[in-house]
Amino acid sequence: MSTLNSADFGFATLIEPSRMIAGLGDQILVTGANGFIGSWVVRTLLKSGFKKIRCLTRAASGSSNLDRIRAEFGSANLEVINGNLLSREACARIVNGAAVVYHLAAGVEKTFPGCFLNSAVTTRNLLDAIIATGTVKRFVNISSLAVYSNEELRRGAVLDETCPIDTELVERFDPYAYGKAKQDEIVREYGRLHGLPYVIMRPGITFGPGKAKIPGRVGIDTFGIFLHLGLGNRMPLTYVENCAEAIVLAGLTPGIEGEELNIVDDDLPRSRDFLRRYKRNVRRIRTIPVPYSLFYFFNFIWEKYSAWSGGQLPPAFNRRTCKAYYKSQVFSNNKVKALLGWRPRVSMNEALDKFCVYAKERMVKA
Amino acid sequence: MIKAAIVGCGKMADQHAVQIQRISDAKLVAVCDAEPLMARQIAERFNVPAWFTSVDEMLASAKPDVVHVTTPPQSHLTIGKKCLDAGASAYIEKPFTLNTADAEELIELANRKGVKLTAGHNGQFTHAMNQMRRLVADGFLGGRAVHIESLYCYELGDPAYAKALLGDSDHWARKLPGSLPHNIISHGVARIAEFMTGENIVVSAQAFSSPFLQEIGQSDIIDELRLIVRDENATTGVFTFSTQISPSLHQLRLYGKKHSLVVDDDHQVVIRLKNKEYKSYMRFFVPPVTFAGQYLRNMAKNFGRFLRNDFHLPNEAGLLTLIKAFYASVQHDAPLPIPYREILLTSRIMDAAFEQMNVQRQEQALRSLVAKEA
Repeated sequence: MSTLNSADFGFATLIEPSRMIAGLGDQILVTGANGFIGSWVVRTLLKSGFKKIRCLTRAASGSSNLDRIRAEFGSANLEVINGNLLSREACARIVNGAAVVYHLAAGVEKTFPGCFLNSAVTTRNLLDAIIATGTVKRFVNISSLAVYSNEELRRGAVLDETCPIDTELVERFDPYAYGKAKQDEIVREYGRLHGLPYVIMRPGITFGPGKAKIPGRVGIDTFGIFLHLGLGNRMPLTYVENCAEAIVLAGLTPGIEGEELNIVDDDLPRSRDFLRRYKRNVRRIRTIPVPYSLFYFFNFIWEKYSAWSGGQLPPAFNRRTCKAYYKSQVFSNNKVKALLGWRPRVSMNEALDKFCVYAKERMVKA
Repeated sequence: MIKAAIVGCGKMADQHAVQIQRISDAKLVAVCDAEPLMARQIAERFNVPAWFTSVDEMLASAKPDVVHVTTPPQSHLTIGKKCLDAGASAYIEKPFTLNTADAEELIELANRKGVKLTAGHNGQFTHAMNQMRRLVADGFLGGRAVHIESLYCYELGDPAYAKALLGDSDHWARKLPGSLPHNIISHGVARIAEFMTGENIVVSAQAFSSPFLQEIGQSDIIDELRLIVRDENATTGVFTFSTQISPSLHQLRLYGKKHSLVVDDDHQVVIRLKNKEYKSYMRFFVPPVTFAGQYLRNMAKNFGRFLRNDFHLPNEAGLLTLIKAFYASVQHDAPLPIPYREILLTSRIMDAAFEQMNVQRQEQALRSLVAKEA
């Protein structure tokens, strides 16, 4: 088995094991461990030599990813617990003795109360248990790049950690981002009131094997035609393996309590390059390029109609969403590199190839 | 102006809040949830002036005219009684209560206190159901219904609810006396109860876990239910609840002595089955054309309504209609949108069904045990 000294890992040599805030024998907790990113976090921890990894999964999410990990690494260092963070008893049980908590479980529903319940309320329950147990040295909270507001940013400006959090996420009709923003608020509050040693990580669009869909920032597949909305925009992509390594580092690096870090890879492709590559390597799809100004106007009309009609059409399309996802911005990973010493180990070129191979395989199977 | 409040700030509460805000002479004055974060989030999103974690405090402080109870059904009786005792009318989400005895207790209390109750059977008030009701009132069936068929399907893949249920072994819906159907079937059963004319109802039930649930190890949940219902006036009904029928249909068929009706609630279509004779082979050529005409007229009606901004999704439209009618009943003493008799009959049919369901569950468990030991 690899250890932290292995050259397999870009991050491995960046922290002296003696400086890490948790040792290889310490108890690590990963919530949402069977998820797309969560399972890669578990894999990264195992490859790094951690010996006591407790994985929380929900029955509804199954355990297919963790089953694959068990087949690859064995079960000796893994403890899989099926539970629900809405249960305070379950929270107390899973945090018992944990030194580092990677909190990836999230609400990904379509409703505001559903996302809030499964992001904010669950996080509050988990944090209460963490404060009570008193053993946790680092709480890594996984948020999302979607919580930022780019209302005041001009096109082409840099979106980074200095940008404000969007306070109009209800108007944006974005339950996921709303749940995440509220989750972040709770984490900060616990940091302030209870001295919680937290780090908030905000991945961009995480992609790689396990997710075959074209990211929504590229465009929308509607009635068999793909509306290409991203055009020349840079995509804030992060390859899942790279992203997981940054998250793992955030749990181990000393002296970064209270920091909020965005995760995007280097050499971010433009939307049109991504789509071209997809068409060439995965499947031919009919696409129609839609200029930003035209789509913005469509969103304006839809938003006005939705309000006028009392929600006969929900405000799923609105100007704030249009700006948040389709206004061209530049994304920076300077802070995450500076504080964690993280470097994307898998190049964007290789990552896109891996994504296309996976998406193609899924196409063939389907 | 009606002062409304909501107790229970989950997904249903959002739907109620949206519709209450669409009513010009109503104001949402308070929300309440035992979980303060949930109460606060809905108050923030809907600009509700006050939020509470105690029903008693909310009733004393906000003094609402109507309380919408959108908590899990296990708490409906307790919360309903608090509201009625405080002099507020109550809209109680389905299932109205856990059983008929509780429903009777609430209705008796409402009558004593001079306030009103309704059940969250908004599925009764979709555009198609309202149209059906107008036709029946106009005598289209040629008298009372002879037979009613209600089909109410449910998708287990629905992420909004079913995934939460399947993913949580402690989910409140698992603890209902009637398992999953208890939380779902009120809409479909109420459609039968509405047209039963007698009081002595006989119910025959078949209930089981679908092969799908058995395969994924969730056979403690019942997700298939069939009912045959009959009253002393020989009115009969058949109710089907299924998670396995595809597409997931929601239909009502009303059979009369003169004509019959089909309500396709999924597509908001009402089709008249007229008793009309055609000569020889014409019966194969003319009716399909007239049916096509009916479908076209349904489409035109729906589209026209959409253009007039009067369509909305069926459950939302039904919810708004029901809330408005209930508020009119509270404010102006108009008739209740759902007669208490219908609420109680729905409850009685469900009680009888779940009693048989639980006997069958025990038998099924016993058979599984014997098979394992063998």
